[in-house]
Amino acid sequence: MQETQQRQWDTLRQDTARRLAAAEEAVGAGKLVKAKDTVKLLEAVIHPGDKINLEGNNQKQADFLAERLCRVNPEKIHGLHLVQSAIALDSHTKLFEKGIAEKIDFSYSGAQAGKLAQAVQEGKVKLGDIHTYLELFGRYFIDLIPRVALVAAYQADKDGNLYTGSNTEDTPVVVEATKFKQGIVIAQVNEVVDRLPRVDIPGDWVDFVIQSPRPFYLEPLFTRDPALITDAQVLRAMMAIKGIYAEYGVQTVNHGIGFDTAAIELLLPTYGEQLGLKGKICTSFALNPHPTLIPAIESGWVKNIHCFGGELGMEEYVKARPDVFFVGPDGTPRSNRTYAQIAGHYAVDLFIGGTLQIDEDGNSSTATATRIAGFGGAPNMGCDPHGRRHASQAWLKCGAESGTAEAALGGMPRGKRLVVQLQETFREKMAPGFVERLDAWELKEKAGLALPPVMIYGDDLTHIVTEEGIAYLHKCRSLEERRAAIRAVAGYTAVGLKANPKETRELRASGIVKTPQDLGIDPAKANRSLLAAKNVRDLVKWSGGLYQPPGKFKNW
Amino acid sequence: MNYQEGQNHSFLEATARERANLLVDEGSFTELLGPQDRMTSPHLPALGEAVSFDDGVVTGVGRIGTRPVFLISQEGRFIGGAVGEVHGAKMAGIFRLALEAYEAAAKAHPDNLDLYRPAVVISFETGGVRLHEANAGLLAHAEVMDLIQDTKGKLPVISLIGSKVGCFGGMGFVAAATDAIIMSPQGRLGLTGPEVIEQEMGKEEFDASDKSLISRTTGGKHKYIMRDCNILVEDKVADFRRALCELLAQPYEKVCACRRIGSYELVKEQMDLVALAAELNPGDAKDVWRYYGNEHPEQLPELETAEFLRVVHRRPKEVR
Repeated sequence: MQETQQRQWDTLRQDTARRLAAAEEAVGAGKLVKAKDTVKLLEAVIHPGDKINLEGNNQKQADFLAERLCRVNPEKIHGLHLVQSAIALDSHTKLFEKGIAEKIDFSYSGAQAGKLAQAVQEGKVKLGDIHTYLELFGRYFIDLIPRVALVAAYQADKDGNLYTGSNTEDTPVVVEATKFKQGIVIAQVNEVVDRLPRVDIPGDWVDFVIQSPRPFYLEPLFTRDPALITDAQVLRAMMAIKGIYAEYGVQTVNHGIGFDTAAIELLLPTYGEQLGLKGKICTSFALNPHPTLIPAIESGWVKNIHCFGGELGMEEYVKARPDVFFVGPDGTPRSNRTYAQIAGHYAVDLFIGGTLQIDEDGNSSTATATRIAGFGGAPNMGCDPHGRRHASQAWLKCGAESGTAEAALGGMPRGKRLVVQLQETFREKMAPGFVERLDAWELKEKAGLALPPVMIYGDDLTHIVTEEGIAYLHKCRSLEERRAAIRAVAGYTAVGLKANPKETRELRASGIVKTPQDLGIDPAKANRSLLAAKNVRDLVKWSGGLYQPPGKFKNW
Repeated sequence: MNYQEGQNHSFLEATARERANLLVDEGSFTELLGPQDRMTSPHLPALGEAVSFDDGVVTGVGRIGTRPVFLISQEGRFIGGAVGEVHGAKMAGIFRLALEAYEAAAKAHPDNLDLYRPAVVISFETGGVRLHEANAGLLAHAEVMDLIQDTKGKLPVISLIGSKVGCFGGMGFVAAATDAIIMSPQGRLGLTGPEVIEQEMGKEEFDASDKSLISRTTGGKHKYIMRDCNILVEDKVADFRRALCELLAQPYEKVCACRRIGSYELVKEQMDLVALAAELNPGDAKDVWRYYGNEHPEQLPELETAEFLRVVHRRPKEVR
């Protein structure tokens, strides 16, 4: 009883109040702070060792705030623990070089993957864990709670209300985790206006607003130029459509990023139409607004799409298709990574994507020995969600075909998510797509990770599609049978050369492996002429001029 | 590929061999020193690089009407169509054959030579010299330039530029020295490639990731406005073929009138252009387009080819 009376229950709030008072002393009163005072503000509200969230993912970046954080005095502010989705900018790695930050828990790296691996090896960065987006978001509320969050928005008003629009992405989850644990939220905005189109983040959750001298950086990561799609990708896309989408009647889908999935999107209005699949497959997506999906949307294939983020150039198109996309009462789009990740985890029947390496057991990874690339959101979609309880035709059929369910569950019926990898047996520069040992093992040793970073585990993977054929792995009754099925489609790689022709014939007879011929597809007829759009300009035409490709992709 | 079907295909996407077969009359193309002859680069294996059995260029002869057409068709999928020793020698060989054919035709048909006059057609897709064998590649460029001079007054040399890699480096010079240039809007022609300019002069001078800027500076529409390109066609094999056939149907003198260099007047025109550029100091191709009377230059890239050709104002032959 005595102890209860003495203990103070609002120390965090008091600490925040002291920091806010220091800020007022440094930059004056009010929510709006001048860009030139950013460093002073950061030095006032951040303390050594704080957990900091610098907003950014594979799309938008709070780049101005990141760059200013690099300019704080390392004697005043050091030992920061970054807890954030991405380490993607030069300024992110610079924080470690300058000693301002010392530890990172993150999800995705990308362009900084090589530098990060090097910094970890040199002991400049203490690597916490590498997460998927959803599990990192979860930890924001448990043991990685940000003390200060530096976020990005399109617009703010003078009360600090934020408009994050089509690139809302991670902002809601970051701000909520920070502010409701008495933390401090600073937003960089492209402009301050009198009236916002709508309020995406309420002003009383935001402490400071800074108008950035330039708009936040936005990476058009999900745009693929149809001109670069190869005939081999067209073939794999045809196989996936006929041998998987049609076979299971897959209606709800997430597509990984890449040219293989772009090819599928561009074949729906042509090859899909020929097969009479319209309305039967691919009606609902958890997906970024891929420009390559425009022809399928325009020809009436797609009912709805919920987006993780926005894609540069797609704003007007998305806005003009409110029946398909999620658009606010003000008429402009909004994304929300958390919800899209939940949808991608629980509400879609199929994940399909590409990878760098698949091993003999079906584990796959995008890691190389010298790059810590992280996971992003793919593992939450490229897995069988064990919490799923709703049924669908595709999910039930895949579960019923499982070769191992009976050994695990007895006679209890259960469905299964379709998790598909599209793989070229030899990738760029003749790098084999199938390997005896993943490079992830070497990275584990080099970077001192607890586990080799595996994107999709073999027991979650249900199908592999290569130009040799489709392996229906979930049908296999044993690990040995699964290995044989993988070998059968691994072509002339070291893994594929171990295939035993007799064994492969048996797998084909039992429907565990299907070649293009088994599927009734003539590889000679699989070529680019089937693509509904052959270049970016065709996509613009399909969109009636609404899609406005960024300079990187506008080649006219 | 079916000949008729192939005519409807994109020129941009066609392989060198498809272009060669489809540009001349159906079934008339004979490939010389084709892949079966396996004449490969002697230099690439020493560097551990893969070779191609045609060394990245398809050469041969076909017919358009009554006229023999000697074809050089470069393949960008092999080292970006770069010119090495064998590639260059195959180009030079075609010119020599064409010149021999000219002598024979001149002797056999002195009265109606235009009906039988051979032509050389180059379908460019190249970044110029192959750096792996740069000396041999450079020599090949010089040899081809020399041979082009030998054709003057005898037979037309026509450039087609509409393939993925475009026509850059020393081959940009070669194209400029030919009699006529046919391009599509997707075709690109220049000397120093965009990436090299950025690397040498910085991103402020030229942002090579800005595809639209590249197109405005090197693309077919700009080259047509500037008269570096004589005929602009849609990106379709049939359209390139039609333009080629129509050009070859003209008297030889008319084709020669398409040249951009090669006379005192033409050199003066080019020099005047250089002086004008220094004076105008344009920040972007659009400034030049506006100068030549295109009121809404920002709209030109968006226009379909036919509409573009209808509304565009080209630079006058008289520079000032």
